[in-house]
Amino acid sequence: MAEARTSTSTTTDGSPISNLAPDHLFSILLLLPFDSIVCFSMTCKKLRTLACSDALWESICRRDWGPTLVDALKSSYYREGEFPWMKIYNHVLHLDSVACHNLSETGGGEMVLPSPRASHSLNFVSDCLVLFGGGCEGGRHLDDTWVAYIGQDFRRRLRWQRVNSGSPSGRFGHTCVVIGDFLVLFGGINDHGNRQNDTWVGQVAGHETLGITLLWRLLDVDSIVPPARGAHAACCIDDRKMVVYGGIGLYGVRLGDTWVLELSENFCLGRWHEVVTQPSPPARSGHSLTCIGGSLAVLFGGRGLGYEVLNDVWLLDLSEGNGTWVELFYELSDIPDGVCLPRVGHSANLVLGGRLLIHGGEDSCRNRKNDFWVLDIKAIPSIRFQPIEGKSWKRLNSKGYKPNGRSFHRTCADHSGRYLYVYGGMMDGLIQPAESSGLRFDGELFLAELMLRL
Amino acid sequence: MSSSPPPSSAAASPSCPKKMIALRSSDGETFEIEEAAALQSKTLENMIDEDCAGTPIPLPNVTGKILAKVVEFCSKHAEPGVDDESLRAWDAEFVNVEQATVFDYILAANFLEIPTLLNLTCNVVADMIRGKTPDEIRKFFNIKSIFSPEEEEEVRRENHWAFE
Repeated sequence: MAEARTSTSTTTDGSPISNLAPDHLFSILLLLPFDSIVCFSMTCKKLRTLACSDALWESICRRDWGPTLVDALKSSYYREGEFPWMKIYNHVLHLDSVACHNLSETGGGEMVLPSPRASHSLNFVSDCLVLFGGGCEGGRHLDDTWVAYIGQDFRRRLRWQRVNSGSPSGRFGHTCVVIGDFLVLFGGINDHGNRQNDTWVGQVAGHETLGITLLWRLLDVDSIVPPARGAHAACCIDDRKMVVYGGIGLYGVRLGDTWVLELSENFCLGRWHEVVTQPSPPARSGHSLTCIGGSLAVLFGGRGLGYEVLNDVWLLDLSEGNGTWVELFYELSDIPDGVCLPRVGHSANLVLGGRLLIHGGEDSCRNRKNDFWVLDIKAIPSIRFQPIEGKSWKRLNSKGYKPNGRSFHRTCADHSGRYLYVYGGMMDGLIQPAESSGLRFDGELFLAELMLRL
Repeated sequence: MSSSPPPSSAAASPSCPKKMIALRSSDGETFEIEEAAALQSKTLENMIDEDCAGTPIPLPNVTGKILAKVVEFCSKHAEPGVDDESLRAWDAEFVNVEQATVFDYILAANFLEIPTLLNLTCNVVADMIRGKTPDEIRKFFNIKSIFSPEEEEEVRRENHWAFE
């Protein structure tokens, strides 16, 4: 009988794991958190080569941050040969600064610019920035739509084009959400104090003579619609639906209801339904609701029924059945210095590295802030029954242009999650900040860039 | 000696109940496995298709000791009416073996293309690695480190970012 070829994997160095096929090793490593992978890479030379490879770490980046962010990084930083994914992972992990760039046109140009405003909507869709509506001096509403083409070069000065006015009707405190190549706008308040509950769909279009333009149309929805409101929050879920929560409804009453809009294939029809759950976040306005991937969204802050500024964090999960709201607890004493909650009228965007970037807004003393800080929410879905650790909160250093404190500004991030556009908002006037007559509406556009040493 | 042709569609249930496939390990042992269980392995599925049924299928890369366990695994996973929780518990017991055997399972699962077994065993090895320091990993898997002390120090310095 010939020498049987056995399937045992021991070899001369007595370690079966060193002799696993690279494919199997990759499959195993992809099941591990990044620090275990690094420990593994420190054991011996052969395993180090395998466990530090760009191919493996690109997969880890995709796994931890999602494919969109990784693809966008690749296209904006094309280089020959290797891409140092392990190093990039390290840098993103230790992100601690933003660099701000002022993109506003200074005087002297012939360009018409959007007037200063707050509680408008600002979105990044089809390579363009789109601005609509908002409130301005004297509490008047605006009904103009502005578009600026961005393309790939995020730091160049923008050319704003006013493409529309009158439709949708003027309003502020509405929401506008990007779903695919469409904008979905809902609600808002006009300057007669009337709250709306109409839904609009917008699409960027090329026009031969006018260049880029935006087409709005009223969405055909069923008879079931959410009660009219403004100062609510909304986000896109599952790349296909829109969730709306809270806001100020009829007679100025703050709401605490959750609604989901489902759109047909071609965005011609929409169906609203209410999500009723126990528990559910207390009613509020001026809060933020941000999709953190798939069917999950994070709610933060706002102003509650007793006019108090809130600092609670809630997770909405619409993946199964009706949906659930879970409050994410944390110890205030665990929060590092410099991160000051509560907030209302702030902005919260999902950025690089799976973090929620929060900027500005008002604190409990009506001071308008200009700070940037992040909440690391990657771990949240899996540890929803444990408190958020103190180290999940981090204040970012701000370099370059120093923006003024603001509230009810609007922000939007690009696909890579590295750049955040910030426009407008209310600022403290020259007199007492607490008096409304001391309000200033801001018309500046700036860019906050997450600093990566690439 | 069976002269009837094997069922034409390997994905459908066998035409007669409890049709048995014969397998031969590298060290000459023969095992019988139900067709439904054998279909857990893509390799076997292809071989059955090719009208090899009747003669024992030779598997030169798998010893009798491991093949016996693989047959047991496939048979359990082909059993109807087993709920998820019981199967998970059974799987946990199945891989509760010494380290070397787990790696043998990985090689066999790869050769025979059994995705469920491969997935299970990769998770077991990941569990062995998770949370251990480099020293602990070396000790556990008997890895000989051939870093010089200077290289060792450099590696430690380069990777401190992961542990801050």
